[in-house]
Amino acid sequence: MPAIGETSAQLALRDPDTRLMLSVRDDQPGAFEELVEHYQNRLVGVLHHLVGNATEAEDLAQEVFLRVYRARKKYRARCKFSTWLFTIANNLALNSLRARQRKPVVPLNTRDSGPLGPRPAERLVKDSGSQPSKRIQQQEMAAVVRKALDGLNERQRMAVLLNKFEDMNYAEIAEVMGLTTKGVKSLLCRARTNLRAVLQSYIYMDGEPVPQTPDDE
Amino acid sequence: MGKQPPLSDDERSDLIAYLDGELDAKSARALEAKLNVDPRTRTEADTLRRTWAMLDYLPRPTTSVTFTSRTLERVSVFRPVTASSVLAGLRGPWALGVGWAAVVVVAGTVGFEAVSWKMRRAPAPPVAAAKPVDVDQQLVRDLRIIEHKRLYEQVDDINFLRKLDDPDLFGDDN
Repeated sequence: MPAIGETSAQLALRDPDTRLMLSVRDDQPGAFEELVEHYQNRLVGVLHHLVGNATEAEDLAQEVFLRVYRARKKYRARCKFSTWLFTIANNLALNSLRARQRKPVVPLNTRDSGPLGPRPAERLVKDSGSQPSKRIQQQEMAAVVRKALDGLNERQRMAVLLNKFEDMNYAEIAEVMGLTTKGVKSLLCRARTNLRAVLQSYIYMDGEPVPQTPDDE
Repeated sequence: MGKQPPLSDDERSDLIAYLDGELDAKSARALEAKLNVDPRTRTEADTLRRTWAMLDYLPRPTTSVTFTSRTLERVSVFRPVTASSVLAGLRGPWALGVGWAAVVVVAGTVGFEAVSWKMRRAPAPPVAAAKPVDVDQQLVRDLRIIEHKRLYEQVDDINFLRKLDDPDLFGDDN
């Protein structure tokens, strides 16, 4: 719990990543490398789920780090560093998605053809067997969830990813996305309702009985 | 699964905020009381919680192995140039040779400049110049010769001339 009278800047300074960013601001050797290594997987993970493409996610993440570096002298420890980082990421990703909507690209499915996809013999081996392996089941579930996530609009998707994978609370998501806390609450409610509508039939696949409601009785 | 009358938007929004730990204490207590007595709300909470948990099936993408180096390379354009960064750039097996070559070039340049500077500052070596000739003095000294130059040109032998000056030969008659 923050102490009474503690400012947001003092709170931010408790964040080790904020202190690391202050080292980057002061051009301390190795600080920026440490920052990149610490955040690259988290950033690319969120961006990948947001834009749905690994190469584009890495390009965007590089651009985010580039902007962080170029803006380092203006950095002030007003909030947690991750909030600042994902604010930049959110702006860049939404701009990229809007640009893509104006000029759609058709991604190649590497599973269908080309040197990166499995050869027919490999596919036969993979598909053989009467009982699907747990791994394949997980892959199928991942594809289902991926499709459900893609069905959300980009703002709902971003709010879900920040909440789920970055453990951001509503206030932090609001700061990243330029919304009010109430707006985030509403956004996440719509997002989770939409996800449930798509995933409803998969929710009780683990054999657990579906809870009875008064209407069922 | 039977037909469930949906919660209102506000109720569902509060329920999700409760699951996320974002509901204020008073509203949370009221909702917990409702969950205890209302199976529909419990089912709604359960399906929402399970839906959220299904997101764990999503893979956690990681960066490619070259991501860090590529990112740092892009950023290097904007890095301030410092002495340490220049020295850091000279690391490598050829750095020793380059270093010695640089030392030799610098030493040669410094030596050449030092010698040039010294030569510019040193006084010019004395030149064995002839003393300035005082033409007037010489003319005064040789005045008699100059006056009788026409006669001297007729004389072939200086001893003969001196004999002419002998009083015994050409003395006055008186």
